[in-house]
Amino acid sequence: MALGTTLGHPLLGVLWGVVVGAIYSASLKPTRHAYVDNLMTGAALGIPLWGLISVIAIPLLSGQTPEWSAEQMRAHFPALVSWVLYGASLGLIIQGLTESAERILGPEVEVESPAQQEKKRIVILGGGFAGMRTAECLEKQFEGDSAVSIILVSDTNALLFTPMLAEVAGSSLEPSHISTPLRSSLHRTEFIRGRVSKIDLETRRVILDPDHASRESAAPREVPYDQLVLALGSVSNYLGMVNIERLAFNFKSLLDAIRIRNHVIEMFERADREPDSALRRTLLTFVIAGGGFAGVELAGALNDFAHGILADYPNLAPGDLSVVLVHSRDRILPELSESLARYAQERMEARGVTFRLNTRLTDAHPGVVVLSDGEICAQTLVWTAGTGPNPLLKSLPVEKDKRGALVVENSLGLRGNPGVWALGDCAALVDAKSGKPCPPTAQFALREAEVLAKNIRAELQGRPKRSFHFNSLGALCVVGHQTACAELAIPFMRNKSVRFSGLFAWVMWRGIYLAKLPGLERKIRVLVDWTIELFFPRDIVQTIDLQ
Amino acid sequence: MSSGLKVTAQVNEPARSFNWIDALLGLAVGAAGGALGSVLLTSSLVSGTVLGCLFGLAFGLFFAHRATSSGAGLIWGLGAAFLLWLVLPAGILPLLIGSGHSMAKLADARDQFPELVAYLICLGMPVGVALGVRGSFRGKLKNQPFHWWRAIMVGGFSGVLGGMIFARWSVAGDFFPLIGGLAEPHSRIATAAVEFGVAMFIGSSFGLLFQRDVRGYGSSMGWGLGFAIFWWFMGPLTLFPLASRAPLDWSADQGSDLFGSLVGHILYGLILGIAYATIDRFWVKLFIESDPLNREPEGPGLLVLRSLSWGALAGLAGGAVSSPVMVATGVLPKIAGLDSPFSVFRALLLHLLVSAFIGMTFGLLFRHESSSIGLGVMWGWLFGVIWWYLGPMTFLPLLLTGEIDWRASAASALLPSLMAHLIYGATTALAFLLLENRYTRRLLLDPRTAARELRRVRPVGTPAPALWLFALGMGVLLPILLG
Repeated sequence: MALGTTLGHPLLGVLWGVVVGAIYSASLKPTRHAYVDNLMTGAALGIPLWGLISVIAIPLLSGQTPEWSAEQMRAHFPALVSWVLYGASLGLIIQGLTESAERILGPEVEVESPAQQEKKRIVILGGGFAGMRTAECLEKQFEGDSAVSIILVSDTNALLFTPMLAEVAGSSLEPSHISTPLRSSLHRTEFIRGRVSKIDLETRRVILDPDHASRESAAPREVPYDQLVLALGSVSNYLGMVNIERLAFNFKSLLDAIRIRNHVIEMFERADREPDSALRRTLLTFVIAGGGFAGVELAGALNDFAHGILADYPNLAPGDLSVVLVHSRDRILPELSESLARYAQERMEARGVTFRLNTRLTDAHPGVVVLSDGEICAQTLVWTAGTGPNPLLKSLPVEKDKRGALVVENSLGLRGNPGVWALGDCAALVDAKSGKPCPPTAQFALREAEVLAKNIRAELQGRPKRSFHFNSLGALCVVGHQTACAELAIPFMRNKSVRFSGLFAWVMWRGIYLAKLPGLERKIRVLVDWTIELFFPRDIVQTIDLQ
Repeated sequence: MSSGLKVTAQVNEPARSFNWIDALLGLAVGAAGGALGSVLLTSSLVSGTVLGCLFGLAFGLFFAHRATSSGAGLIWGLGAAFLLWLVLPAGILPLLIGSGHSMAKLADARDQFPELVAYLICLGMPVGVALGVRGSFRGKLKNQPFHWWRAIMVGGFSGVLGGMIFARWSVAGDFFPLIGGLAEPHSRIATAAVEFGVAMFIGSSFGLLFQRDVRGYGSSMGWGLGFAIFWWFMGPLTLFPLASRAPLDWSADQGSDLFGSLVGHILYGLILGIAYATIDRFWVKLFIESDPLNREPEGPGLLVLRSLSWGALAGLAGGAVSSPVMVATGVLPKIAGLDSPFSVFRALLLHLLVSAFIGMTFGLLFRHESSSIGLGVMWGWLFGVIWWYLGPMTFLPLLLTGEIDWRASAASALLPSLMAHLIYGATTALAFLLLENRYTRRLLLDPRTAARELRRVRPVGTPAPALWLFALGMGVLLPILLG
């Protein structure tokens, strides 16, 4: 009625009233006994509605210009009061009708809760780059879809940011700062910390090792799946050399990096009180096997760390210290172009690293590293020379390549095993466009995860799947203090790249990897660590007892 | 349009039992207020007292359970009093008198302006505060502890900060809006000191009154806006003339003369609101959220970045929808200058950029304020009004001419762009909520974040609806009525 008298036509008033009332009712959640709230909300709503409808819409619908000049708006003042009164009445009426409807018809039918629905279970094995990124992408793909549950199983509860692992071994970064807790990073993914003992493709179940630390849950746990993602990564491959496996440090996990750092400090402490100069040199000789990214970055970081802490050990001389990198080929860093590899070698040699190229490790004994062309007296050997897929894959009755990685289709699905997928280091994947094998790097694993998540969704929805294709963006490698090599692909120009080296490449390395480090908090912590490193010497506090 | 998520839909209020004490208290305070109002308006004491009794009784019966604190009571009281004025003197009375012409009805409403002041000062404020004080003793809010020190210190500091920003600005322009209507002291320093003192008082009382109601930056600005408008009625129109021993003048003409002071109050309220929310947030961060027992599963950085990006997108949508109105009302060409052949295109681009930026402020200020699209859009309307006072009334003239013009005539000339701002605010809020809800749906599947999301959403029963009516209504009505 209020609108009818104001708008000059009762039918027009009723029409506007019905439209506004329907929108109002649909856009607000019903709340019992909220009469005064709706009275005020409706009255407040009347004010903008006056502007939109009386001042703008009705003149426009009548073929006139909106009446929004000051004088015209003042002329519409009675309508403003009417709209407020209409809104107030609307609020009260809707509240009353809603409560009446609930009394007569009963409460609204409950939406079936997610727990009551049959869920599709997507289980991801592995919490590395591939597994974590897959979980993130699946969360995005299925957003609010409660009919899908995502479960991530990993034997560690954090994602290790491996590009910065050498800096932990070199005491530049605090260990926990380069690890992101999986539980905090994922929103709707259920996380299970556990080691997988068996994958049963027949019954579609994953069996986890029993938790021996807990007497209550000593039985193995089974995790059923509808879709299984294998992102188990790789382990060090010692090529059957048992002594090396027994004596060498691994360099894959955070604990490995912590152990290496503490061991280096331990060697310095023992060398400091060692009167025999030969033995002192043995203690301070650090051999790194493997001239790939991991080995080179570790050699550079250990070289900087070891030379830096010499100042704290007045009984030791720079001549006692030796960092040796052993590599089986004629040049290091096969992932980069030759000129950059040579540059890296020259810079590292200038900073004190010794290279033994075209040389293989054949054996190791306590205090001695046996090479194909001689021996090195050293108490420290770190192995980065070879990796292989997770041993768990050996038991799977599926096709594998020479390395032991699972052969997957372009869509990342396992051939003949619908609903089973593999990616990252444990998958042998061929690029759909280039036909070349995809390298087992984090860069590729992250892109594979994005395609895989889309393909799982496509499979569940019965849509066609995508094939994987990705052109490498390039590679970066730090070789020592404020020195790095970078080779970046030029977009849209096949096999063309641009190369950087020195300080600029180092700044680029830090910028890119800091941006890629997951979590704002971790970024800040690493940035603080790097800033502290500019002004203060590296820490030599031993945090674990290696004796 | 409701999200349909059961987890957010269960917001039912328990049935309320009838309370005679509330009704009697409302009746008594309403009667006293009505009598005082009729004395000040020199109208019939009987009719004034009867109206006061009815208002107080109705408030005690229907609103008292919402007046859970003195601040909540004040806002509900002001909203109810404003609605009463719209119903009686501005709505029914002209119908009874039979004012035919619409401009005559506006003139009648201007004539009834003293009643509006009287309703707010003598009925809404005392009845609301009295029942709010009683409500605060009922213990309904025992789960929402009140921190006296936090209220006094944060509110006081915000008042000081707002006062400093505002007083410096005022001294530079030789204009003291917070003490408009007060007889000027002998020196400028004394004038500035009084202005500063009033700012501090408003600030400290803000903290004491609204600690529980203010949940985020946006709502804090809304409360600051409402409280500042109330203080314009209370201070320049009422207390300052009384303090200066001048006759009380509640006429619309006096309101028009003091319109600049109203805009000053509104700006001060917005500064106070945002300062209070910022310092309060800092306090909560330092002393409450830093406690590991209160840790949230997701850090603040991510939420801020998300809100900024959603706000920018929503602002672009708001800018695009409101741009035809901006062009038609001549605001856009004014921004870009009329001499350029590409002025409209350039102005449109500039408008969209500014819209995206303002949208980012919406994202930052108003996230987590709404549990449904409808409530979110209500905040959007208010955001639009706020930006009308900030943009065309203040920043735009400052940028274009280096001076501000807060006279009622200037506001009157800018009324057409008010529509554009309302449309912009509502569209931005709608787009932002759709983006926010899309993300929140995912969060609600995680019980940890679901609990937090529910906690952050404004519950039913806060005085937000009354604030919308009072602040939005006054923000739109006063330029029309007083211009």
